[in-house]
Amino acid sequence: MAAPCGRMASRPLLQFLSRFSRSPVGNTGFRQFSSATVCRAASQINEAAERANSPWTLMAAVCLQRLPVISADCSPIEQQFKQMLHQIELEKSVLSDHELRLLEDAEKMSRKQVDDYDSDEEDSHGDKEIMMAQDLEDIWEQKMKNFQPALRVRADVDKDLTSAERCLADSLVLLAEQEVGDEKLWLLPQTRWQEGETLRQTAERALTSLPAAGFKATFLGNAPCGVYKYKLPKAIRTENSIGTKVFFFKAILADGAPPKTKKAPFLWVKKSELQKYLKPAYMMKVERFILDL
Amino acid sequence: MSLALSRCLCRVLSRQAMPSSSLYGEHHHLVQSPWFAPVMTLKTSAPLRAEPKKKKKVDPRREQMLRERLKKKLKKLEKVPPELIPIEDFITPTKCLDETRERTAPRLSFEESEGRALLLKEWCRYKQKQHMAEVEAVELALEAQREALEELKLESEELYRAALKPDPLLIPFVHEGPAYTPAIPNYDAPDGKYNDITKVYTQ
Repeated sequence: MAAPCGRMASRPLLQFLSRFSRSPVGNTGFRQFSSATVCRAASQINEAAERANSPWTLMAAVCLQRLPVISADCSPIEQQFKQMLHQIELEKSVLSDHELRLLEDAEKMSRKQVDDYDSDEEDSHGDKEIMMAQDLEDIWEQKMKNFQPALRVRADVDKDLTSAERCLADSLVLLAEQEVGDEKLWLLPQTRWQEGETLRQTAERALTSLPAAGFKATFLGNAPCGVYKYKLPKAIRTENSIGTKVFFFKAILADGAPPKTKKAPFLWVKKSELQKYLKPAYMMKVERFILDL
Repeated sequence: MSLALSRCLCRVLSRQAMPSSSLYGEHHHLVQSPWFAPVMTLKTSAPLRAEPKKKKKVDPRREQMLRERLKKKLKKLEKVPPELIPIEDFITPTKCLDETRERTAPRLSFEESEGRALLLKEWCRYKQKQHMAEVEAVELALEAQREALEELKLESEELYRAALKPDPLLIPFVHEGPAYTPAIPNYDAPDGKYNDITKVYTQ
């Protein structure tokens, strides 16, 4: 923050000084201006030197999450509590209009069945009172049966690890199989950082450069949510590269899952299944910021 | 009339200022000039009759003050506090207080009431555990982020500063929450007709 402030302060100062007099103050003005540029150039050189000196290679990875689509099932205690609350509410409540109507209709029916029944005593509604409350309930039930909602749990889709539609009640994380060094590992999609771009742009590039991707994601902010650094084995270590630092960025999958292509090296896994695929040290760092709430 | 005439004549003759011919020629209609006014009319002469205008400086100011006071009184009267908009949720409609609507309250057995109390206590414990787990998870995530930012700072200042900048495109962020059943693809929902009878209050 110091460099731009210095630049902004030096310009009005220059104008102020030049307006007053030329020769005696002009030199100091020039000196100030030049010192500001020298400062800026120095800081940039410093930053470049820092980056060149640092022995760590930078990579950015994306933690793409598909949030749950349906509500989770209730645990046993939650179900019990739900039932109890429902009962208590029913006991404390007052009769509704529909229930009152049901009671009245039941009374009318019982009165009609009695032998000495005089229909003239009743309020003459004529042809209006044909629809009883019970009939209304039957009509509503019929309409409900006509509608078929989608199934909550589909066992076959749940087993397919590559589909984004599995386990709709949990949040899933995308894993990709990538080559690191000599081996193929399952990890969060990552790519190397290049000069002139921010780490978030690197993460976005990592997502789009996946083969057969087409994922639409919303990145949550510019700051990384986690870091994993590993040192290269001693054999390969040189002065300029001790190891790699991987910065993770969180993203949420937007609606519209992409069309499934077979043989795409992706996996959508729940947090509990992550352990099977990730290395222990990596898993330790990654599981902290993946929330399974 | 003849006396006045004679007096004028005498004055004129004694003074010997004016030419007598003009007065003589016109003596039947006397020119009553202010210089030759008779003694009787001295007290009521024109310059003496003209009263000087009294400039009352205080009056316009007093009128202004009166007007201001009246305006203030009017404003105070007009300052009625605006009528409060009633919150319809807090007013129990009289339909619900009808006696014919009461349910017969069932008698609970001892075991059932005990069971309910115990269930409440278990629920309390369950919810507390859930909350503590949530808080812990959030703390872990924050710790992870802090570490990441520290490492980034050690790496390069520029990237660190870029990471700290807020993202204006993120807000407002919209996401549809979970429903009970998943959405049916290509489902044509039937149109529902309704009459909107919400009361709108203006203040």
